[in-house]
Amino acid sequence: MSEVAVRDTMLSYISGSIESESQTVAIRAINERGRDVLHNTSFPTRKHEEWRFTDLSLISKNTFTSVEEADVKDFGDISSYYLPEALESRLVFVNGQFNAELSSLEGIPGNVTVGNLSEYGDHNAVKEYLGTITNYDDDVFAPFNDATFMDGTFIYVPEETVVEAPIHVLNIFTDAEKAFYATPRLLFVGEMFSKSTIIEEHIGLSNNLYLNVPVTEFKLFTGAHVHHARIQRDSKQAAHISRPIAILDKNAEYHSYTICLGAKLFRNDPRVIQNAEEVDFTVDGLVLIDGEQIADTHSIMDHRFAHGNSHQLHKVVVNDKAHSIFNGKIFVAKDAQKIDSFQENRNLLISDDGKVNTKPQLEIFADDVRCSHGATIGQLQDEEVFYLQSRGLTEQKSRELLVYAFALESVESMEVESVEKMLLDEVIKYTNRDDK
Amino acid sequence: MSEEVKALESMIGEEYKYGFTTDVEYEDFPIGINEDIIRELSSRKNEPEWMLEFRLKSYHAWKEMEEPTWFNATYKKPDYENMLYYSAPKKKPQLDSMDDVDPNIRETYEKLGIPLEEQKMLAGVAVDAVFDSVSVFTSFKEKLAEAGVIFCSISEAVQDYPELIKKYMGSVVPARDNYFAALNSAVFSDGSFCYIPKNTKCPMELSTYFRINNMNSGQFERTLIIAEEGSQVSYLEGCTAPMYDENQLHAAVVELIAEKDADIKYSTIQNWYSGDEEGKGGIYNFVTKRGICKGENSKISWTQLETGSAVTLKYPSVILKGDNSIGEFYSVAVTTKKQQADTGTKMIHLGKNTRSTIISKGISAGRSQNSYRGEVKIGKKATGSKNYSVCDSMLIGQECGAHTFPYISSENASSSVEHEATTSRVGEEQIFYLMQRGISEQDAISMIINGFVKEVLKELPLEFAVEANKLLDVKLEGSVG
Repeated sequence: MSEVAVRDTMLSYISGSIESESQTVAIRAINERGRDVLHNTSFPTRKHEEWRFTDLSLISKNTFTSVEEADVKDFGDISSYYLPEALESRLVFVNGQFNAELSSLEGIPGNVTVGNLSEYGDHNAVKEYLGTITNYDDDVFAPFNDATFMDGTFIYVPEETVVEAPIHVLNIFTDAEKAFYATPRLLFVGEMFSKSTIIEEHIGLSNNLYLNVPVTEFKLFTGAHVHHARIQRDSKQAAHISRPIAILDKNAEYHSYTICLGAKLFRNDPRVIQNAEEVDFTVDGLVLIDGEQIADTHSIMDHRFAHGNSHQLHKVVVNDKAHSIFNGKIFVAKDAQKIDSFQENRNLLISDDGKVNTKPQLEIFADDVRCSHGATIGQLQDEEVFYLQSRGLTEQKSRELLVYAFALESVESMEVESVEKMLLDEVIKYTNRDDK
Repeated sequence: MSEEVKALESMIGEEYKYGFTTDVEYEDFPIGINEDIIRELSSRKNEPEWMLEFRLKSYHAWKEMEEPTWFNATYKKPDYENMLYYSAPKKKPQLDSMDDVDPNIRETYEKLGIPLEEQKMLAGVAVDAVFDSVSVFTSFKEKLAEAGVIFCSISEAVQDYPELIKKYMGSVVPARDNYFAALNSAVFSDGSFCYIPKNTKCPMELSTYFRINNMNSGQFERTLIIAEEGSQVSYLEGCTAPMYDENQLHAAVVELIAEKDADIKYSTIQNWYSGDEEGKGGIYNFVTKRGICKGENSKISWTQLETGSAVTLKYPSVILKGDNSIGEFYSVAVTTKKQQADTGTKMIHLGKNTRSTIISKGISAGRSQNSYRGEVKIGKKATGSKNYSVCDSMLIGQECGAHTFPYISSENASSSVEHEATTSRVGEEQIFYLMQRGISEQDAISMIINGFVKEVLKELPLEFAVEANKLLDVKLEGSVG
């Protein structure tokens, strides 16, 4: 207890000052707001309902410095991470800092704005929306991002514009002498009837400890359409705590897919807010973890208006001593009639030392709705394994194949071919890890 | 659509039919809670020293605890210092037959339609009727005694079977378990005790009717059922209460112990006063119910129909300790007006190849809030275990809410958990289909609701099933009958 009392706020785990401020006015205001909250909000413990099952000791037993003080090491060629579909629509951030050299934006249509936030600080959309969509509650990580981010991604798609090429936001994390923190930021504003695909990637190049706290804000106007893939391949020693949030106007469509492969501690709190009638959204997830990884997803599907469709398929495979946590909330406000919301959480627990906690949660205040959820924790069926064995596969191969098939459904939602292929390779790497 | 809602609203508006009080004089007892009061209570009940110790220890535990707030309900906290912790009908006669019972009390039971007299004998049900806090009548003792079954009040059991009470009381629900259980352990008034010896099938269904009848008398019932190896018992519990303005607290504790191959079935109908239109008055029903499947192949089954109380916090649970043991939970919770129900179950799998089933149906109407809160936990050693849960909610009207909070966890690779939940309204297509077949709208809705809860009601013993249907009709269908 005494330890909690002393190391009370998020700042207890940060070495050095976080007082430095952005030169950009719009960012600076948010920095100040975040710092105020951070000083007055205690770091979560198991007593917080939202953190009941999550072991945060990876953060609380370490101290993180800013990137400048971490003695970051040089890194080699990262072109293998480039997507062929997005060769000219790529933004690269190294340890949270924009890298213009590695970025390439030639393929972006002239009326579309894609770039780094500090450069576009005077853009109306930045001034109007940056920091307005994210939600604090009693969270410390969103305020931490607010307090410390100096730059980030800005994407603005004007009315009736279709961006054909996927926009690739590549967050690279390098090896360093000291554990450091990084707070990537992304603001997306999609005007009426625009359409775009965002691939947000987090890649750890080495096997070091760092704290990655990204915040993404999506504002979708009437009829806007976004496909948002989030691929987390952080270092297996790292902590990744992300806060993606989207707010949807009438007829907007937002489909997000989060793939969790890396990080020792992963926590993701996606939240989609239906802010007008007739929207359609997806909050899918795929988690493949082993070793001592912890992957925790706390999603909120917040229906505030009538007529909405929402779907969530959250699939998890747990091996070794890994621990998966899921809490999916579906809120339906009082007058939000005719909501059709479906949530499914399927967990495959394939080791005796693994652990799964799941809590699908419905909170419904309108009567004319159809909301359902399903949650399962199970293993591969003996019959299925036997079937494959009877076709000549070894038992191990049969099991690998079945886990692969389990994960496939989520991977196939990716609209970008190279991403799908890359993920399939990752799935195979995960399932076949014991092969000689 | 609005018409059908209106029709339902009018049905829901039905007044509480059992709101009346009975004039029985009550023994004087000081109000409030402290060590002296507990000593006084214990001495009035003639309790041995160890029982007093148990109470005092629980009281000190309770003093240190904080009243919980994690549930999905808000209510005015009971004023524990201003409550009467002991109430008993003034004269406690030793009765041999029904005729000796205070006619007023008998009348009360009759108004409630409890067939305590001849009908019960024909029905083959022994009744341990609890009027307020002290048992006044126990019948069929002889027949039960023949079979070796002990069925008496807890107070009697403390005197007559101290070894059993010492061994089992607090073994499933320890005094420190939670705030309300601690309070109960300190001041429990009376309750039922039931012991089924080895390889005995209890010759009749056992039932207890509780009735809260004294202004400001928190009822702290305590039930303890022990089923020895190879035995079998079905226990029925039903409640109604008169209409009062003051909130009344009911913090009962029920403990079930099933040894090897034993089978306990525990059924409840709860229809306490739920408060008026504004939710004023009404009972607080904060009950701790838990059973342990101690031995191999044992089974505990909870069935409940919850329709009353202003606030209900109730989670009948099963600890599946013995290998191959089975836990079941069947529940219908109906809330109307401004009722708040936060109810569900816990299935804790510890033994190998344990199985549990949860079927929960919630119906919320009026301005009520109905929550399902459940926990299914499969331990590391509970290999080969299975759980299947369904919790469906139905909403009637636009001012109510339905919530689902299932906690699920598994820690081994050979167990499986399946959980599904849905929230919906009475389907327009379903109503249309039935109306098209010549059934009135009200009948159609009634039929659909009956179908919705059928899965659970069929688990009730026959005696209760009839009552259950009647209760649902009263609660939701009114004139539809």
